[in-house]
Amino acid sequence: MDPITLEVVREALSSIVREMRINLTRTSYSSIIYEGEDFSCVLMSAAAEIVAMSAGQDHPLHIVPIGWSMRAVREKFGDDIRPGDIFLHNDPYTGGTHLNDVAMIYPMFAEGRLFLFPVIRAHWADVGGMTSGSISGAVTEIYQEGVRIPPIKVAEGGRVNQAVVDVLFANMRIPRDRDGDFRAMVGTCAKAAERVQALLARYGLAVLEGCIGELLDRAEQRMRQKLRGLPDGTYRYEAYLEAGRERLEPLVVKAAVIIAGDTLTVDLGGTSPQTAGPTNVGPAMAPTGAFTIIKSFLDPGGDINSGAFRPLSVLTPEGTIVNARPPAPCGGMVEVKFCVESAVMGALAQAIEGKVTGDLKGGGNHAYLGGVDPRTGEPYVFYEYPAAGNGAWDGGDGNNTVRAFTESDMTTLQPIEAVEQKYPLRVERTALREDSGGDGRWRGGLGLSRELTLLGADARFSVLSEKNILPPYGVCGGTAGAPNRFFVIRDGAAVEPSPLPGKVSGFPLRAGDLVLLQSSGGGGYGDPLARDPEAVARDVADGVVSPDRARRVYGVILRDGRVDGEATRRQREVIGAARPRVRLRELGGPGAPDGRRICRLSAAAAARLGVAMGDIVEFVNPAGAPLRAWIAEIGGEDGDLAWLAPDACALLAAGGDAVEIRRVAGPRGA
Amino acid sequence: MVVVGIDVGGTFTDLTEIDEATGGVRITKVPSTPGDEARAVLAGLERLADPRAVRRIVHGTTVATNAIIQRRGARVALVTTAGFRDLIEIGRTKRNIPALFNPTFVRPRPPVPRPLRFEVPERILHDGSVLRPLDEGALARLVDAVRPQAPQAFAVCLLFSYANAAHEQRVARALEQAFPGTPVSLSSEVVPEYREFERFSTTVFNAYIQPLMERYLEAMEKRLLAAGYPPGVLTVGSSGGALTVDAARRLPIKTIASGPAGGVSQAIFVARSIGAPDVITYDIGGTSTDVCLISGFAPGVTTESLLAGFPVKTPQIDIKSVGAGGGSIAWVDIDGALQVGPQSAGAEPGPACYGRGGLEATVSDANLLLGRLGAGRPLGGTIALDPALAARAVDRLAARLGGFDAHRLAEGIIRIMVARTVSSIREITIQRGHDPRDFTLMAFGGAGGMHAIPTAEELGIARIIVPRFPGNFSALGVAASDIKLDLVRTCIGRLAGDALPRLQELFAGMREAAARQLQEDGFAPADMRWVHALDLRYVGQAFELTVPVEPETLTAGGAAGAFHARHLQTYGHASEEAAVEVVNARLTAFGVVTKPPLARYASPTRRLAEALVEERAVYFGGRFAPCPVYERERLPAGARFPGPAVVEEFGSTAVVFPGWRAEVDEFGTLRLEGAA
Repeated sequence: MDPITLEVVREALSSIVREMRINLTRTSYSSIIYEGEDFSCVLMSAAAEIVAMSAGQDHPLHIVPIGWSMRAVREKFGDDIRPGDIFLHNDPYTGGTHLNDVAMIYPMFAEGRLFLFPVIRAHWADVGGMTSGSISGAVTEIYQEGVRIPPIKVAEGGRVNQAVVDVLFANMRIPRDRDGDFRAMVGTCAKAAERVQALLARYGLAVLEGCIGELLDRAEQRMRQKLRGLPDGTYRYEAYLEAGRERLEPLVVKAAVIIAGDTLTVDLGGTSPQTAGPTNVGPAMAPTGAFTIIKSFLDPGGDINSGAFRPLSVLTPEGTIVNARPPAPCGGMVEVKFCVESAVMGALAQAIEGKVTGDLKGGGNHAYLGGVDPRTGEPYVFYEYPAAGNGAWDGGDGNNTVRAFTESDMTTLQPIEAVEQKYPLRVERTALREDSGGDGRWRGGLGLSRELTLLGADARFSVLSEKNILPPYGVCGGTAGAPNRFFVIRDGAAVEPSPLPGKVSGFPLRAGDLVLLQSSGGGGYGDPLARDPEAVARDVADGVVSPDRARRVYGVILRDGRVDGEATRRQREVIGAARPRVRLRELGGPGAPDGRRICRLSAAAAARLGVAMGDIVEFVNPAGAPLRAWIAEIGGEDGDLAWLAPDACALLAAGGDAVEIRRVAGPRGA
Repeated sequence: MVVVGIDVGGTFTDLTEIDEATGGVRITKVPSTPGDEARAVLAGLERLADPRAVRRIVHGTTVATNAIIQRRGARVALVTTAGFRDLIEIGRTKRNIPALFNPTFVRPRPPVPRPLRFEVPERILHDGSVLRPLDEGALARLVDAVRPQAPQAFAVCLLFSYANAAHEQRVARALEQAFPGTPVSLSSEVVPEYREFERFSTTVFNAYIQPLMERYLEAMEKRLLAAGYPPGVLTVGSSGGALTVDAARRLPIKTIASGPAGGVSQAIFVARSIGAPDVITYDIGGTSTDVCLISGFAPGVTTESLLAGFPVKTPQIDIKSVGAGGGSIAWVDIDGALQVGPQSAGAEPGPACYGRGGLEATVSDANLLLGRLGAGRPLGGTIALDPALAARAVDRLAARLGGFDAHRLAEGIIRIMVARTVSSIREITIQRGHDPRDFTLMAFGGAGGMHAIPTAEELGIARIIVPRFPGNFSALGVAASDIKLDLVRTCIGRLAGDALPRLQELFAGMREAAARQLQEDGFAPADMRWVHALDLRYVGQAFELTVPVEPETLTAGGAAGAFHARHLQTYGHASEEAAVEVVNARLTAFGVVTKPPLARYASPTRRLAEALVEERAVYFGGRFAPCPVYERERLPAGARFPGPAVVEEFGSTAVVFPGWRAEVDEFGTLRLEGAA
């Protein structure tokens, strides 16, 4: 294909997607679309491949699953797709995300055949269900989350099926806005189809198909080229979701990344069965998370189209939290996606010499304060979802509190000067959390602390957040960032609003309570003792690392703010020598029935660490992410020893015969 | 008497002189002297005006913008409400740079590092009432804490200061007493609008560039005075009008889009003169293409812009900039794709044909190779272009693509560059609910006229105009600028009858302040003009639309009606039954200056042949064809000629493609029309 035409066509295709964004923003009714930009647009091929998306504005979370939605349409309707038909879809079990994200699939034809499909996935502010806004942490079935739309023809032969639309909107709050958003989506798709027709008139079908084929092939070749550079093998890692009500009943995502030649398979076998809580997803979301990580670490610069997916396959066993069957709720899809990403990143790290980043915040950090405003008598819901510190990487500290590279670039905090007008709340503080970044040669970014006083009258506080107990891991010897934390200060004393941290459902607040939303720090990278002492001195001067931590963790001794080189060298030796290390032994017998990793520690090792049964420890992997395990047994032989399943021993063996071990948390996070 | 307009760019400083009586224009261009901008300005002025004949000098400059982008601003201390010193860093938690899928992105840091952020115990509430008073002891402690840091400028940013500026003013007084001569920016003066992060960010930038701008303006004024020019060099502001020396010194943040704003102002001036209300400007320079939609002679104005990853909330003309210009580099990606830009060879080393060590093929090299750009005319009068170097650079790129024909490749580079600009034009037009085919494309800048026709063809635009002096266009617009003040007051509440007295009061207060200022600047009341507007939204929305209003006839119903209409135009729907909320009252105040008329073109020739410079082979659609080359300023008025043709002039080249016709109108404007 002539490279000039190819580039001009590529520009035209991505411009059509950008125009779709503008048109939908201009015409939609709900502010979450036209102000919050919680939607994505894409052009798909008849073979359900992503052809073009905008670079950076569309959310991978919306776009990547579109392939599944398209295939669901093709599977159900076969060739019964005609000009003027329009499809609607939000069903997570066949490729949706959560029910609020409604996809419109708009087939268009060239020379009598299906050609390109303009597709929009937009967040509808409400799709019915048990709570206003349709998302709740208290759900046990998907029926509580709103109306499920399997792939349907919402229009046939150019006529909208009004009966379908009436039934849908009758089950949603504020039907007028839903109707407006629906019509805006139809109009936007129709405009995009017109623009594709103009391209067809200009270049002809053969040239356009040739260009599209070439663009996909090139993206595929780029990815294959990157994969060929990696050592073949199977790399495993696991990550947890903090489920449970009274106590932690973790759900596990197990990832095996299998690299063979120029292909990569992610096998999520061994992942927890689906659960009667919000943290499940349909078949599309885990591949989306896996793709996001693989693309980001192997080829961040290439086009985002389905060609890049061709060398990848993701296996999601049915009936698990990564491929749930009805009626498992799916509102916590962001949390599951983050967990898959943590697991895949930990596995991939082993194939790319640990060149990953410290871990991220683990989910949406959804925090709600709701009540009746005493000033107006009107009900209100204040909602924020604080961003957190980013992970450090080989060569740079993590960014402080900002949307991460895996997420779209959205606002997560409201202006204080708007909050205090609109809600009976006063913002007391918005600050970086000192010492919250994971330590390392490169330090994780700091999380934030957002502190609000409730004024006037009682209200309720709800939270859906992950990594409140198991903090974002550090890599290659770096330590974890501080966990997310959501709590209340009442009459000067801290009050925990739920038995299980991070899962708060309608905690009753009193006027005068101070509510603290604290987001996690990013995981660190590399051994903190290898951090440039001058960088530590700067961190202390900046107030992001305390002098005590500088001495205790980084071994940096400061005199009047200046590094004392000799004292620092000695301190670092002392710290290095005093680190608890264990020799590994293979643990026989079956693992824990719920899939969590367990270990046995010798009494000496447990004493050195100050841990007890049920506590969580991590085994440091100098070449990647640490392995975390629950202490299931203490005792056995003397000496500093730990027993772990053979796969864990094999993974950690790369780090030498004695492995550093750290305490992560008690069973409740303390 | 004459007025002088100057556009101080990174590579060249453009100067124009307009005769007040006749509208006659003289132009020149000199190489810029970064760091000592006045030197280039004086060198250029020497070629033009007699200092005694100059009534005023207006200039556009990017010194402030460049200082921000290159992080060369002052050591700023931020003083803010206790509990919020990190707000300037946390912001709204957006990356504000392209970083999706990039695990190692580095978020831009605020220009004030953490140790230079100071907190004072105080708190004002949204209604302006004081929750926690600011006491003198706290101010004394602040001064003590700040002193060892020796800041060069202060930004005072307190919560809710738009509702009550008393605490900010008291902090300012304490700082001014303790640190005399160190400039202090107050958020309640820079942008007295609600939304603290955007206000703080704008204020911090203002402080960051204040010392530099002061030095710059002082040096400029001193040198000009010494050379006999009149005092008071004016600076063009981002929203189009000019700022007095004092205003530019206090609020340099209002100059950040100074240069391109001049071009748009001139485009509007030309559009009015020739009666074309709907115009898309197409300004191609070395590194970028700036496009702006002008509808009914009015450009879009925005208060939502980002600079170096941080918001700037002062009004500016809504100009979209794409990283595609004459210096944009053509390169081959790892997957073999041919790409153009956004990297640019800039001024140094510049395109390969500049002969300054640039080796990579750029858009200018492609144009030179195809004969569209002439080698015989040194760029800006100083830089000679070498076709052999251009050919070598394109050949190297062709080899990387596996042996491509160099001329076809050059044509392809231009096609790709054009495709990028086409997308941006299409996007700005649909953003404002228009169809590009209803617009006239106005091409200027060094290379606008070279790429206008393929761009118009892609967009279905039938009319192009290339105004006179396209290479000095911004400098012309700068000269014709009125003095402009943008004022704003936040007053959040339902738009209802009982809100009107308060709004009237705010408008009157702003008019009074503006009138005082304009009077100080030497304007009589007859030369002052006001434009009032309200920022309105539906209750529950987070963003506003600006709706012009007339205070004398202001009613709640009238303003709401105008808002519904505006909402309908912008978003395609409106809710007549929904409650409307006022957020801000805005006043734009103009001190109207006498503007020379757009001069009629006094053609030096009668026959087209007299303008013919040469005939050279120019490449179009796969082959070279002989093509006449005309000298723009020698074309006779009323001349008509078909493409292919090239029209060259000082600082700019226009290319008339085969199938298009050119005509020179009474103002000397080159009008291009397609065959269809």
